[in-house]
Amino acid sequence: MTGKQLKQSLVFNIFRLISLSVVAILFVILGFIVTRGIKVVNWEFLTSMPKDQMTHGGIYPAIIGTLCLIAGSMVFAFPIGVMSAIYMNEYLKESFLKKFIRTMTNNLAGIPSIVFGLFGMALFVNTMKFGDSIIAGSLTLGLMALPVIIRTTEEALKSVDDSLRIGSYALGATRLQTIRRVVLPVAFPNILTGLILSIGRVSGETAPILFTVAAYFLPKLPSSIFDSVMALPYHLYVLTTSGTNVTESRPMAYGTAFVLIMIVLILNLLANLVRRIAGKKTKMN
Amino acid sequence: MPEYKVEVKNLDLFYGDFQALKKINFTAEPNTVSAFIGPSGCGKSTLLRMFNRMNDLIDGVRFTGEIYIDGKDVFAKSVDVDGLRKSVGMVFQKPNPFPKTIFENVAYGLRVNGVNDKHFIEKQVIEAIKKAALWDEVKDKLKKSAMELSGGQQQRLCIARTLAVEPALILMDEPASALDPISTGKIEDLIFELKNQYTIIIVTHNLQQAGRISDYTAFFYLGELVEWNKTKIIFTNPSDIRTQNYITGRFG
Amino acid sequence: MTHIPNELNALKLSLLEMGNLVINQLVKTKSALESFDQELVEEISRNERRVDAYELKINLDCENILALMSPVANDLRFVLSALRTNYNLERIGDYAYNISILVREIEKPIDAECLMEMRIPEMFNISLKMLQIMYAAMENDDAVQARQVFKKDNKLDEIKMVSNRTAADLIKRKPDEVLTILSLLSVIRKLERVGDQTKNMAEELIFHLEAKVLRHAKRKT
Repeated sequence: MTGKQLKQSLVFNIFRLISLSVVAILFVILGFIVTRGIKVVNWEFLTSMPKDQMTHGGIYPAIIGTLCLIAGSMVFAFPIGVMSAIYMNEYLKESFLKKFIRTMTNNLAGIPSIVFGLFGMALFVNTMKFGDSIIAGSLTLGLMALPVIIRTTEEALKSVDDSLRIGSYALGATRLQTIRRVVLPVAFPNILTGLILSIGRVSGETAPILFTVAAYFLPKLPSSIFDSVMALPYHLYVLTTSGTNVTESRPMAYGTAFVLIMIVLILNLLANLVRRIAGKKTKMN
Repeated sequence: MPEYKVEVKNLDLFYGDFQALKKINFTAEPNTVSAFIGPSGCGKSTLLRMFNRMNDLIDGVRFTGEIYIDGKDVFAKSVDVDGLRKSVGMVFQKPNPFPKTIFENVAYGLRVNGVNDKHFIEKQVIEAIKKAALWDEVKDKLKKSAMELSGGQQQRLCIARTLAVEPALILMDEPASALDPISTGKIEDLIFELKNQYTIIIVTHNLQQAGRISDYTAFFYLGELVEWNKTKIIFTNPSDIRTQNYITGRFG
Repeated sequence: MTHIPNELNALKLSLLEMGNLVINQLVKTKSALESFDQELVEEISRNERRVDAYELKINLDCENILALMSPVANDLRFVLSALRTNYNLERIGDYAYNISILVREIEKPIDAECLMEMRIPEMFNISLKMLQIMYAAMENDDAVQARQVFKKDNKLDEIKMVSNRTAADLIKRKPDEVLTILSLLSVIRKLERVGDQTKNMAEELIFHLEAKVLRHAKRKT
């Protein structure tokens, strides 16, 4: 081996090691949570209310709360995000307005989540008088998820081959018909990826729900969107730092973390499955 | 009846400051195949896209002059562009079937133009696929995805898709350049057949192809329609030295 | 490609039609020579213009096929051979016409004995036979048949070789017919050329079918 080749193989091996170490870190985290969390997770843990100052019982209301927030934020953010992405990619010509909207979207993505929380409290909780509620929390989380959805949807639309649009126009289809019948079906699997990413982000956030929805301890299920709820990430925070008996509730915290990870993982797998099935139907060669 | 299927009068076209077409005058009689040849960037594809106003989709295009199809002014204010595109079919360089079933691909043009009658759609689809010489190959898999077809079959499907809406004029932009010789031969045969019912304008870089299938050939160079005549004459005795240099491969 | 075979087939039909016309010209020439029939000479002269028209048409067809259809391999050889066969047929037509002109120039019927002695009818029959074989060979794309033509051509060459000797003898016996006999010598030369042209056609057909170039080749007979 010449010196040049030796150097090259050395460098690439270092790179390989580093990229493998990233995977290792993931496994360490997962292993850490799973080994500690799985001990407390059982059917009762998943389906009962917390009790004994949260050192025993379950996390049922927090699971339901988080699912409500995921659903609520997506109901709000997904259509708005997809529609604005369609407007930007399909209708808006390359112009100042388009650049402006894109820059602003990126800025929105860069705002710290705690600021979203503060803003959500000011607008939804106080000004609009929703109080600490699912709707206020969902809207705040939705705002945060918007840039991700817009950007991934835009990428998904961009990846649709222009020849398909042109082919559709050439047959006398309008822009709207082209989007509805050709572009969206093709882009759908990739748009779904954006949805998954934003769900991942939303379900794990603590800061935005801190001031808008999350309850410290609320051992009952919400009855309307104007109720506040417990949520997994906040519950985890509470269990770890500010519970009445932090040491006692430590195993509960690991259990909560485990459930949170599993929810995100299951949603990911589910969406991946949907994506693969949908993708098969519209696969380009 | 107007004398010409297509008539172009004094067409000038600019992309920004660049003049892409210079004083183009051209006509095509019904049931003929006209081939546009010339080096890349000579304006032939630009002119082709004027016939169904595809250039409307591009920013910064200005033009003066007129184009008539069946005697009707393509650029008249009253013209509905989507309607125009329905009556002027277009087939592209790369086969671009929609990721739908074979049937839905051909039905697409009818559906977006507001046809809902199931029986009529079925009749048109089958007829179009037959006309495109694809029927024997796909009759048992109309519900299968068009993506499963070979490149040549996909291109014939795209032709069928165009035929289903009964166009007055068919434009083809290098329809066989991405295909192997066998598929190319099939497309050429098809064009030869379709001539009996349609008027066709085809852009091609393949001179032999222009020779084999076209009745008229127009040679474009630097935005100019240099020479335009019966294909036989262009290929045996062109009158402009630039045409001669191009078709003999002695350009530049 | 369905239309290339169509065009090539049409070209072949044109060649066969021309061939048929040329054979008829030669048949009529023979008969005009034997019967001193001036009307027949007129007819031959009219038909000669048709032969020329065929030549121009086939030439143009070949040009179009070459220019527009870019034939290759077997197809290309056929078009090239058609071009040359076309030329050969036209030459044969010319020879027939030129022989028939002779009938117009002489004042009385040609002495039958001279014709026989100079073996003119025999030469006519051989070259006509060659042409008929060639016609069938072209029609059936049959190289084996085409090869039969070569042997017959040798026969024509033999007759021509001895023709000067024959003429000299005949002039001694029939000094009055000296002009006729000299004319008949030119007829012999022309008929020998007809044989050569037919032989060329056979070579063209073999080139088309087998891609073998026989021109200028030493042939075993």
